[in-house]
Amino acid sequence: MDKGFVMREGENGFERAMGILEMIYKLPDSLSEEDVEAAKNFVFPELQQTVIGLLELPADRELELFFFRLLLGVLKEAQNAQAEGKKLVFIPFTFPPEIFYSFDNIFPICTEIVGGLITNICYGQGERFWDYAMGMGLPDSLCSANTIGTMPFFMGPGLKADAIVYNSAGSCNPNAKIHAFASDYLGIPQFLLEKPVDESPRGRELFRQYLKRFIKELEEWSGSEMREERLREVMKKSYQAVELYNEFWELKKARPCPVPNIFSMTLLVLRSQLWGRQEAVDVMQKMVDMSKERLRKGEYTASEELARVYITYIYWLFDFYGYFTWMEKEGITILGDILAIHYFPEMDFSSKESMLEGLADITFDYPMTRQMGGESISMRWLDDIIYAAQDLGADACIFGGVHACKHTLGTAAYFRREMMKRTGLATLMLTGDVFDKRHTPMEMLQEEVKTFVDQVVARKKSQDKKKAKTAGE
Amino acid sequence: METTTTLSRETEIYNDYVKEWKDKGGKVVGYSCVATPVELIEAAGLLPYRIKALGNSDTELADGEMSLFNCSFCRACLQLGLDGTYDFLDGLIETNGCDHLRAMFENWQHRKKLDCFYYLKVPHFYRDDSLAYFEENLGLLKGLLEEKSSVKVTDEALDEAIHGWETVREKWRELSALRELDTPKVTGSEALALEIKGSSMLSGDFVAMLSRFIAERKDAVGTKPAARLMVCGPATDEVEWFEEIERLGAVVVADVLCFGSRAFVTAPPASDGSPLHRLAEAYLSSIFCPRMYKEYERRRDLIRETARRARVDGAIYLYNKFCDLHGVDSVIVRRDLEEAGIPVLVLEKEYSAKADIGRVKTRVQAFMERIGGVA
Ligand code: SF4
Ligand code: SF4
Repeated sequence: MDKGFVMREGENGFERAMGILEMIYKLPDSLSEEDVEAAKNFVFPELQQTVIGLLELPADRELELFFFRLLLGVLKEAQNAQAEGKKLVFIPFTFPPEIFYSFDNIFPICTEIVGGLITNICYGQGERFWDYAMGMGLPDSLCSANTIGTMPFFMGPGLKADAIVYNSAGSCNPNAKIHAFASDYLGIPQFLLEKPVDESPRGRELFRQYLKRFIKELEEWSGSEMREERLREVMKKSYQAVELYNEFWELKKARPCPVPNIFSMTLLVLRSQLWGRQEAVDVMQKMVDMSKERLRKGEYTASEELARVYITYIYWLFDFYGYFTWMEKEGITILGDILAIHYFPEMDFSSKESMLEGLADITFDYPMTRQMGGESISMRWLDDIIYAAQDLGADACIFGGVHACKHTLGTAAYFRREMMKRTGLATLMLTGDVFDKRHTPMEMLQEEVKTFVDQVVARKKSQDKKKAKTAGE
Repeated sequence: METTTTLSRETEIYNDYVKEWKDKGGKVVGYSCVATPVELIEAAGLLPYRIKALGNSDTELADGEMSLFNCSFCRACLQLGLDGTYDFLDGLIETNGCDHLRAMFENWQHRKKLDCFYYLKVPHFYRDDSLAYFEENLGLLKGLLEEKSSVKVTDEALDEAIHGWETVREKWRELSALRELDTPKVTGSEALALEIKGSSMLSGDFVAMLSRFIAERKDAVGTKPAARLMVCGPATDEVEWFEEIERLGAVVVADVLCFGSRAFVTAPPASDGSPLHRLAEAYLSSIFCPRMYKEYERRRDLIRETARRARVDGAIYLYNKFCDLHGVDSVIVRRDLEEAGIPVLVLEKEYSAKADIGRVKTRVQAFMERIGGVA
C-alpha cells in the first residue's frame, strides 16, 4: 500500500519529504478525533505512526501542527535560499544554527533534521538512503542520523548545498567523516571548527580563536561580513528562546510532569534548525504556555506517572508514536536526553566581540560535542547526565542511541556502574538505532522498557517508600 | 628467502628487551598512536613502548567494559591492560586518535589508576594555531616525564633523541628500498615483524637491529613475486596476515599502515627553532591518518606516491570492523587509486580472528587473479 507517497526513481528525498509535509497546510487549524483518524487512514503504515505520534493526543496535536507549519516555512526558505543569492550550508546537529543565521547570505540546513524528516515522512523511511550509502562502500558502522541526512543529496537532483561545516572532529568520528566525505564527493568546500578535547581555560581560549577564524573563513567564502547588528538581532532572539528553555526545564520538575513527551523531540528540532529565529521563540512560548496550563489543571496522559526516565544518550526517532506517545500512555515520562542539556552563558550583547565569545562558549558546550569531545568522555558524560537526571527527579535512566556512537558504547559499562553507585539510579541498556528500525523493532524496545519499569523502577519506588516510612517512625 | 638470525617474530608483550631494561631499573612508558613523539620519552631516559596485542584474541575482560561495536584491536589491547600483562608499564600516554582508542584509554585508566597518565591532545588539522597548541601540550608532557623520571630534558638530550629517531627513519627507508626491488630482498611480513620489535626499543638499538638485518639481506638473491602488493590502513600488528598473503606468492612490497611504514614518515625536523618546536612541527605535519581533516589530498598523494615508487600491481585496504576513520577513507582511496590505474581490494576484518584469515585469503586469491598475479 503506497497511498501515492512512494518516492520515484531519481527523486530527492528531501524534496519528497517536503512535498508530503505540504499536506499540513491543508489540515484545518483545529482537528477533531475524526480528522486525525482520517489523516491516519490516508497515509501508508509508517507515516501513520508519525501522524498519530504527533496528533493523537490533544496537547501534542495543537503544538505539533503549529510547529510543523513553521518548520515547513523555514525549510522552504532553505529551498529558495540559493535563488535569493544565499549560500546553503549543511550543518550537523552538533552545531548551533544561530551562527549561520547571523550571516546575511548564508542559510543553514541541519543534515540530521533532513534525516529525521525522511525517516518519519517518506515511504520506506531512511532505509533506501542507508542502503545507498552501503552500496557506495561506506561502512555499516556509520551513524544513521547523519548518513541518512546526507545521502539524499548524493542520490538525486534537487537541493544542493554550497558547503559543509562540521565540528565533530575529535568528538565523533562517524559524524566528522561523513561530512568530510560529502564535501569530497559532492565537490563542495568544507569548513571545520575543531573543539579541543581540553576543558582548561587554555582549551576554551583556543576554541574562541578557532571560532573567530572559522567565521572569517566563512566571511571570505561567502563574500560578506557577519554584521554586528545582525548578530545582535539573532542572538537576542536566541536568548528569548533560552529564557523559555529555562522555564521549560523547570516545568519538567513537576510531578506528574506536565510536559508531553513529544515536546522533547520538538525541542531537539528547534534547537538544531530554528534557534536564533522568531519561529523558535514562538514554538518555545507555546510549549511553555501549554505545559503551564496542564500543570495548573493537573493534567497527565496516563492515570499515574509510573516512572520518570532520563535518556542517557538519544531518543529513538523512527517511530514517534511507538516511542514518545506509547511511553506517555504507559505513564513513563521522558525527561530529556543528552541533546536536551544546554549550557547558555550570560550573554553580553554590547559588542560583536563579546557576543562571539558567548557564542564560542555555547558551541564549546553544545550537547554531544561537550561530552564526547570532553577531556574525559565518560566523566563529562556521566556528570552531565547525573546533573540532569537528579535535577529533574528521574527514577531511572535508559541508554539508547546509535551503534555508531563508539565513544559511548566504549564507556557505557563504566557509566552504568558509576551512575548506580553515585545516584542509585538503574540504567536500562538498549541496543538499536535512532533512525533505522531494522536494528531493533519498536515492539522489542517497548517490551524491554515495560519490563524495566515494572520490575526495576516499581520495586525501587516501593523500597524508597518503605525506607521513608521507617525513617519517619 | 631464509629467515635470518636477526629476525624472529615477537611473541611476548613483556619481552626480553623490556625485561632487561626494567631489571636495570629503567622505566617504561606506553603509547598507542604514532602522533606521540617518542623522542621526548627517550630524552627523559624512559623507554617508549608502543601498545600492541600481538594477536591476542581473548577479550573477555575488555568486553565487560567496551562493546562489541568497538574495534577488536583496541579491545585486545585493553584486555592485556586489564589482565595485568601490561603491569610493567610505569606510565601511559593517551591520544585522541579515534573514538575506540579514547574509550580504551579511559577504561584502562579507570581500572588501573596509573599515576603517570597523560592525555596528549593532538589537533585534527595542521595550522599555525593548532601547531602552537600542540607544542604547548608537548611542553606539558615533557614536564610530566621529567617529574616521573627525575631527569631534566635538556635541548641537547632532545636533539640527540631526535637524531636517534631520524636515523631509525633513514634505516627504514633503506629497508623499504630492499623491499621495493623487482626481486624483493625483504618481505612485507619481515618488515612488519621488525617494526613490531623496534617499537619497544630505544632508537640506538632499533637502528642496530635494522642495520644488522639490512647487512644480512643486502646481497641475498630475491625472487620475483607473483604479484606486488601494497597494504594500506590503520594499526595492525598481525604479521600472520602478511604471511598468509605472501604465502600465496605475492609480496607486500610497500605499505601505508599505522603499524608499518606510516610510523616512519614523520618529516625531518627543521633546523631552526627550539627542539620542542621542531618536534611539534615535524609530528603534526606528518600524521597521514584519516583522523586528520582537510588533509585528504596529502594522504592520497602519499599513498599514490608509495604505490608508484614500489610499482605495485594492486593495493589492499585492510581495516578492522567498526573503524569509521578508515572505513570512510577506504571509499575515496579506492576511487582515487583506481582512477590512477591501481586496482584496489577493500577488506574489513576482525582483529586476530582465525576465521577471518580463510575468508580474506580467498578474497586476496581472487584479487590476485584479477590483477594478473597467479595465486
Ligand atoms: S555521537 Fe552518535 S549520534 Fe552523535 S553524531 Fe556521533 S554517532 Fe551520531
Ligand atoms: S590509525 Fe591514526 S589514530 Fe589510530 S593509532 Fe594510527 S595514527 Fe593514531
